[in-house]
Amino acid sequence: MSEDQFDFDVTVVGAGVAGAVTAYLLAQKGLSVALIDRGETPGSKNLSGGVLYCRSMTTVFPDFFDQAPYERRISRNQLVFMTPESSVALDYADERLHRGGTAVTVLRAKLDAWLAERCEEAGVMVMPGTRVDGLRIDQGRVVGVRAGEDELNCRVVVAADGVNSFLCRDAGLRPKPASNQLALGVKAVVKLPDGQLESRFGLAPDHGAALALVGDCTQGVGGGGFLYTNRDSCSVGLVLRLDDLVRQGLRSVDLFDHLLAHPLLERYLADGQLVEYGCHLVAEGGRAMRGQIVHNGLVVVGDAAGLTINTGFTVRGMDLAVGSAIAAAEAVAAAIAADDVSAAGLAPYETALDQSYVGQDMRTFAKAPHFMEGDRLYHDYGPLLADILFQIYHLDTSPRHRLMKVARSALKASPLRLTQLARDGWEGVRAL
Amino acid sequence: MNIVNIVVAYKYAPDPQEATVSSDGTVDFSRAKAVVSDYDAVAIGYGRRLATACGATLVGVCVGGPQSAKPVATKAALSRGLDRVVVVADDELETAGSTRTAQAIAAVVSQLGDVALVLAGDSSMDVAARMTPSVLAGLLGWPMLSDVETVALADGSAALERLTPQGVQSITVALPAVVSLTSEAWPVKPPGMKDLLAAGKKPVEIKSVADLGLTLADEGTVVSRAKLGGSARLGVVIDTSDPAAAAATLVEALRAAGALSEGGLA
Repeated sequence: MSEDQFDFDVTVVGAGVAGAVTAYLLAQKGLSVALIDRGETPGSKNLSGGVLYCRSMTTVFPDFFDQAPYERRISRNQLVFMTPESSVALDYADERLHRGGTAVTVLRAKLDAWLAERCEEAGVMVMPGTRVDGLRIDQGRVVGVRAGEDELNCRVVVAADGVNSFLCRDAGLRPKPASNQLALGVKAVVKLPDGQLESRFGLAPDHGAALALVGDCTQGVGGGGFLYTNRDSCSVGLVLRLDDLVRQGLRSVDLFDHLLAHPLLERYLADGQLVEYGCHLVAEGGRAMRGQIVHNGLVVVGDAAGLTINTGFTVRGMDLAVGSAIAAAEAVAAAIAADDVSAAGLAPYETALDQSYVGQDMRTFAKAPHFMEGDRLYHDYGPLLADILFQIYHLDTSPRHRLMKVARSALKASPLRLTQLARDGWEGVRAL
Repeated sequence: MNIVNIVVAYKYAPDPQEATVSSDGTVDFSRAKAVVSDYDAVAIGYGRRLATACGATLVGVCVGGPQSAKPVATKAALSRGLDRVVVVADDELETAGSTRTAQAIAAVVSQLGDVALVLAGDSSMDVAARMTPSVLAGLLGWPMLSDVETVALADGSAALERLTPQGVQSITVALPAVVSLTSEAWPVKPPGMKDLLAAGKKPVEIKSVADLGLTLADEGTVVSRAKLGGSARLGVVIDTSDPAAAAATLVEALRAAGALSEGGLA
C-alpha cells in the first residue's frame, strides 16, 4: 500500500486507560493517530472505578495529581474476612502511602474523558461513538479497521478493546476465555450524605480507604468484594468468578443485595443514594490468559492482553494497562520508523513488556489465580478467624484459655484441617 | 438558485437521559454529559440535504459556555454534516436563556451575511422552551415558522409543509426566514468514521460576547426551581415468577391507582 493510502499511522481501538495512553504517547512522538471508542463519550462504556496504582501514570503525565480528576489518595487499606455477622480486618493506614501518591481512586467516566482530552491536545483524532466491527486483514497482515460502511487504513492497529477483545478473537490471536478465567464485576456508586464520608471512614481530606472483602460477601463464590472511597461517594461491588457463580446457581444481584445488607457495609453506606450501577466482565486468568499480543500490523494492550492481577490484597489492571501502553508506544513508533510493522518488527513490544514491571509482576503472581480458586478461602477462613477472636473478646465468666488452645479448638470446630491450613499458607506464600 | 449560506442553530446541552431525579424530586444535571441532541441532528441532516442541493454552505452556530467550543463538541456537530461552525462560547453564556442565546445567534447571522435560512430543531433537549427560534426571528425581523416537516427552496422563497393540530399547512414564504423542524423531519443516523475524520478537518470559529460587541439583555433571575412533583412511590413489589399472574396483578394495581381506564391509559 502506498504512503498516501494510509488515513493514519496508527489506529487505536478502545479509549480506556491502555488505549488512550498508547494514543497519547504515539501522538507525542509525532505519529498521526486515531483513537476510536464505541462510547458516545470516552469512558461511557466503562464500569471500572477503582484503585489506580498511579506511579506509571505519573511518568506519562507528570502533572497527573494537579490536573487529573482522581477522587482520593489511598492511605488506608483493609483486608476484611466476613461472616454473616462479623468482620475481621487487617487494617493498614500509612501516611507514606498518601505522601507518595501510590494509589488513587478514580471514576472512569471522569478519568477517561480527561485522558481523551489530553489525547486531543496531543493531536490524536478522537472518534467516539464508533463501534469497530472488525480488522481489515490483507495477506495475513492487519492493515486497518472496519466500522459500518467505513474503513480506515493504517500501518499499525492497537487493540485496546478490553477484556472481551473481539478484535483479538476475530484475528484468531486468542481463544474465547474459559469461564474460570473470567469474573463478573458488579458495582454501584453510592453517594453519601454531605460530610459523612470522611467521618465514617476516619479519613482526612484527600485521604481515601480501600477495603478488600472476602468470605460471606460472596456467599462462598470464588471472588470477593470491594469498597472504595471516592470524593463524596463510595464504589462498592463484587467480583464473582463466572464458573463458580454458575456452578452454585447463585445470582449476582442477590449476592450484591446480601453484601449491602451486611452490618459492616450497612453502617458505611447508611442513607446513601445510589447514583449508578452496572456490571462488567473482569479478566482473572493472569499470565495464562494472555495469548498472542503481537501480530503483523497489530499489538494488543491492557485488559485485551489479559493484563490483570488479583492477589486478594490488591486488584490491579489500570497500572498494568499504562505499563503495556508505554511499552507498546515505544515499539510501534520504532517499528514504523524502521518501516517494519510485521510481527517481527513489533516483537520488541513483547520483550519490553516482559522486562517491565508488568511482565515481572505477571510472572511473580502467575500462581495467584489458581490459589484464589481454592474454595476454603471463601468459605472457611472468615468463620475461623471470627471464632478465635470471639473466644478472646467474648468474656462470659467462663474460665479463659490461652490463645493457642482457643485457636486449636476453633480449628477443630472448623471444617479446616491443620494440614490444609499449612498447605494454603505455603501456597499463599508462593503465589502471593 | 443563488443561496450562499444556510445556518443551523444547535445547542451543546446536557443529555436528560443522564440526569438523575433524587428521591426528594431534585433534578440533577451535573453528571449528565453534553451532546448534540437528536433534535439538532435532524436540523443538521435536513440542512445538509438542502445545502448540497443548492450548492450553499451549511454553517452551524452554537451558543453556550466554554465547553461548547471544545473539539469534542464541535466535532460532534460537524460530523453530522455541517461545513463549518461558529461557536459563541463565553462564561457569560453558560446559563443563557432564549433571549441571550438568540441575541448571539442573530449577531453571528448578521456577521455571516447572505444567510437565506436559519434551521433549528424541535426544541433544546435540556430546557425545551421552544422560544429561541422565535426570539431570533424577532431580532432579525424575519418570519418564523415552527413545526415544519418539509422545506423546498426556490429563488428568494421557500415552500414549506407545516404540522398543525388542524392538519398539514402548505406555506410559501419569502426568504430569509427562520424555520424549526419537527423531530420527524429527517431520519437521523449516527455519523460514521469518515464523517468524524472529515469533521476534524473542518473550520471552527470561536467567538466571545465581546468579539460580537453584544450587550446581553436582562433575562431576569431564577430565584428557585420547583422540585419534581408527583405522588410518592408506593413501593409495591410484584413477584414475577409467574409472568402471566404478574401481568394481571400489575394491571389490577394500575387500575386501582387510577392510571388505567377501561379504554387503556388514562
